[in-house]
Amino acid sequence: MGNLGYLFAANVFVWGGVIAYVFSLVRRHHSLQKDLDLLKESLKKESGHE
Amino acid sequence: MNDASQESQANHQGPGYGLPGLTGAAILAALGAIFIYVPTEQTEGAVQRIMYFHVPCAWIAFFAFFVVFLCSILFLWKKEREWDIYAHASAEVGILFCTLVLITGPIWAKPIWGQWWVWDARLTSTLVLWLIYVAYLMLRVQSEAGSTRAKYAAVIGIVGFLDIPLIHFSVLWWRTFHPQPKLITPQGIGTGMDTSMLVTLMVSLAAFTLLYFMLMSLRVRIEKTKDEIDRLKKERLYAH
Repeated sequence: MGNLGYLFAANVFVWGGVIAYVFSLVRRHHSLQKDLDLLKESLKKESGHE
Repeated sequence: MNDASQESQANHQGPGYGLPGLTGAAILAALGAIFIYVPTEQTEGAVQRIMYFHVPCAWIAFFAFFVVFLCSILFLWKKEREWDIYAHASAEVGILFCTLVLITGPIWAKPIWGQWWVWDARLTSTLVLWLIYVAYLMLRVQSEAGSTRAKYAAVIGIVGFLDIPLIHFSVLWWRTFHPQPKLITPQGIGTGMDTSMLVTLMVSLAAFTLLYFMLMSLRVRIEKTKDEIDRLKKERLYAH
């Protein structure tokens, strides 16, 4: 591997790692937000029935 | 709408565009400085540019673990969940940057030292730091949520930070493969570096610092959303 190959590999790991982490955070937040919205909706319905 | 629900809604709103936009612009400026502005170093060649990622990643990892240390102390003192959330979030972000340090270091070392890894004091103590905070996160995943888990995690978060001064001084106390500090030297700040290299390193450090705060805001929001779900589930349980 030439010197440029090492530089390229380091870049791939740094930006690949950061982008993968950002995506995982966004995905986790969206999934939790969905759960929260469903829970709020069901609570609203339940309180409407009482 | 009452104050509590307004606050909870504010916690779950989108991240906005201010911080991500600023972070993106700073990263582009850093990449421009690294690949266009700064001249190629004469001894090591193009591979030396790895320093502009490797050093900021190390600093941000240390900063993140310092935040864990500080928030852990505040949690043990004030017993407020808020500090536990910040400590947990910062540990996770710190692990990301510490992992990147442990990856980019060997990639830089191979063409310069002729080997990927040596068990010298700087590299070994950094690996130990990574293992300590992996253990911190494993404790949080494996044990049941509650104040006991938070207390144990806080103790690891405080004790683990003691490794950082050891990492910093390891290159001064022992003979190591790892080079001595170039930025902060006994002669002053930045005296061991060319101005263009110093400017590039500072721009890169600013970009990684903004990235840390952006990741922290996303991670903290996740934890607060989890808490809100737990609170509503409990409310529902008590209502029945």
